[in-house]
Amino acid sequence: MRATGQAQRALRAARPFFSSKSAAGVLPLTTSSLPLSPSPAPTLSQSTPSKPRLHSTFPASSSSVNATELSHFSSLASSWWDPHGPSRPLHQMNPLRHDFIRLCLGPSYPSPSSGPTLRYLDVGCGGGIFAESAARLPTTREVTAIDPSETILEVARQHMRGDPGLKGKLRYLNRSIETLEVPGDKDKYDVVSLFEVLEHVDHPKEFLRRLSQFVRPDGGWLVMSTIARTWISWIVTNVVAEDILGVVPKGTHDWNKYVNVEELRELFKSEGGWSEPRVMGVVYVPGCGWKVVEGSEKIGNYFFGVQRLD
Amino acid sequence: MDKLLRRRGTYVCRSCIQSFQRQPRRGYATAAPSQPDIFDVVCVGGGPAGLSANPVTAHLRMALVEAQDLSKLRAWKLPPDRYSNRCSSLTPASASFLDRIGAWKHIDRDRVQPYHEMQVWDGVSGARIEFDSPPTNGGTIAYMIENLNLISGLLKRLDELGGVAMYDSSRVEHITYGEETEEVDLRQWPVVHLSSGAQLAARLLVGADGANSPVRTFAGIQARGWDYDRHGVVATLQLSESTPNTFKTAYQRFLPTGPVALLPLPGPYASLVWSTTPQNAAHLKSLSSEDFVAMVNAAFRLSPVDLAYLHTIPSNHVDELTWRSQHTPFPSPPTIPYPVTAVQPQTVASFPLRLRHADSYTAHRIALLGDAAHTVHPLAGQGLNQGQGDVQALAGTVAEAVQHGMDLGVIGALQDYNGKRFMGRDGGLWSR
Repeated sequence: MRATGQAQRALRAARPFFSSKSAAGVLPLTTSSLPLSPSPAPTLSQSTPSKPRLHSTFPASSSSVNATELSHFSSLASSWWDPHGPSRPLHQMNPLRHDFIRLCLGPSYPSPSSGPTLRYLDVGCGGGIFAESAARLPTTREVTAIDPSETILEVARQHMRGDPGLKGKLRYLNRSIETLEVPGDKDKYDVVSLFEVLEHVDHPKEFLRRLSQFVRPDGGWLVMSTIARTWISWIVTNVVAEDILGVVPKGTHDWNKYVNVEELRELFKSEGGWSEPRVMGVVYVPGCGWKVVEGSEKIGNYFFGVQRLD
Repeated sequence: MDKLLRRRGTYVCRSCIQSFQRQPRRGYATAAPSQPDIFDVVCVGGGPAGLSANPVTAHLRMALVEAQDLSKLRAWKLPPDRYSNRCSSLTPASASFLDRIGAWKHIDRDRVQPYHEMQVWDGVSGARIEFDSPPTNGGTIAYMIENLNLISGLLKRLDELGGVAMYDSSRVEHITYGEETEEVDLRQWPVVHLSSGAQLAARLLVGADGANSPVRTFAGIQARGWDYDRHGVVATLQLSESTPNTFKTAYQRFLPTGPVALLPLPGPYASLVWSTTPQNAAHLKSLSSEDFVAMVNAAFRLSPVDLAYLHTIPSNHVDELTWRSQHTPFPSPPTIPYPVTAVQPQTVASFPLRLRHADSYTAHRIALLGDAAHTVHPLAGQGLNQGQGDVQALAGTVAEAVQHGMDLGVIGALQDYNGKRFMGRDGGLWSR
């Protein structure tokens, strides 16, 4: 799967200046419905040319981690927590993640007076922007956060030491999802989060299947955010954000790996055992931050959540 | 809302709380503890702004530091015919905020006087503006309230809520950054060292510590502005007669040396704020009670030339006023105030007027409130109200941060407060 979750979010930040209407019908790429074959070939999109994958640096040969992505995000480690640095759009997006999780859980979201109850698994945690914030919530019992980049986890652990309130509620593990042991049903997680990670993963379908095993049966949620693969998102994330504005580090995005919301819907429908997904499209407005825009999930950044039913 | 939030528990982890609980909160007279106590919010300053900030964030682990003995302020009481000389004008917006945080009901309302009209005129030309308030506010422009009445009410509200660690009769000796230990890295946390020896580490250090804010100095935030070369002379006055408490008027006359204002208190009482030169202020304070009263009456009636002369004589102001009034045309009350008949003992005081504005209201783990952020001329009665506005905005920012698991002391969490209160403030602040 992917390297470090956090860095990537930075990238997406830019994309939303465009109106959603102009974009919708114009996607230049045909996306096949998710191929379920466990072929080593790439991703959800068959039109995507595959790039050579270098798995040699990471121990698990079956890993979803892409070595190029890994080294890219590791190089961003030092600026992870700089609120005005390259990860700024990620910091700005973080409150929306909590809003989306509240939206998904709805009335089953615990009240603060009921004490700490929720357990989170944050996959691709990067420097810990989401993991720390989740651990700080009074409704959270514990957060397990994993990332394949030890370099970035060092940053995360160091940063965590600056907040005594996190001790005992948050732990970082240098693992990929493939090397993390699947717990027994009663120890599975209420919320498995995957923020700005999916677009950096080599084999998203296998990756998501693996993730599903960590979601608590009968009510746990798999919550993610990623970018749709549209011509607008190509222009915004790769050209505008990285080349022109430079708000996102160069090389952060591989547009070919972006996943569209319909592809995710299809996947979870065909897998069975999942609720109807909840979707929330968001748009980055320079100077204002992120805004929820209905329908924009078809254009650019979006949140996607499904509840495990069985 | 604050009740809801209060139940949320705290940001501080259990082991920290336990270590906190093991240590006595006070009584560090001899040996300073090596480890600071850890709080989500430490508020330095128990004035109106600082005290208001505490109830709205009471769901967090809070500490309040105040140099004065709070038990004296709690027990504050004056007979019904005596009023403190330090009063503020509270807008309906501020009053409704105090109501929302549950403090309004603890304020002695018999000592609070709403006013419904303002008479403002120029001392040279006589040009006049009259203000009233739409009936939607019950016709109230603002409420005159003694600062001590407000503080006492806020303290009672804090006592009712509980949960705030009070460090009163405590001076801030100095503020440093914390240290790194094996357990935790507090190198970016401000630690307040108190005269009692206590050390308080703050996730967010709130500076509600006045115009010469030590917190602001620690944060390296500069406050710019100027001295007006004017002093504000205050006093509690008694008038010959008064309109009913249900319809009161505030008066302000602009003199070449500065505005003089008479603000209504309940019954025949009123509060004076006279901004004038430091020499005139010293002169006023040197007068006998009778002459002082005559000077106040003269300030609302005589010409600036006559007043300038009266400021040069050491006594005999009563006779001078009587004689000059016969030769000076001026309107009758209630267009101008009813004659002042007495000044309450020990209420004549003065303080220098200045304008200061902090370059920013926030820094990493720092937020400034009230006079620590902005010190203004009293002529528009905005000082305390701006502080209440700060408190409302900061409380909203903190609640938003808590809701989303943000570390409420970091700039990313505080920028909303700075944006709401600092930006756009300058236009209204820089009046001379």
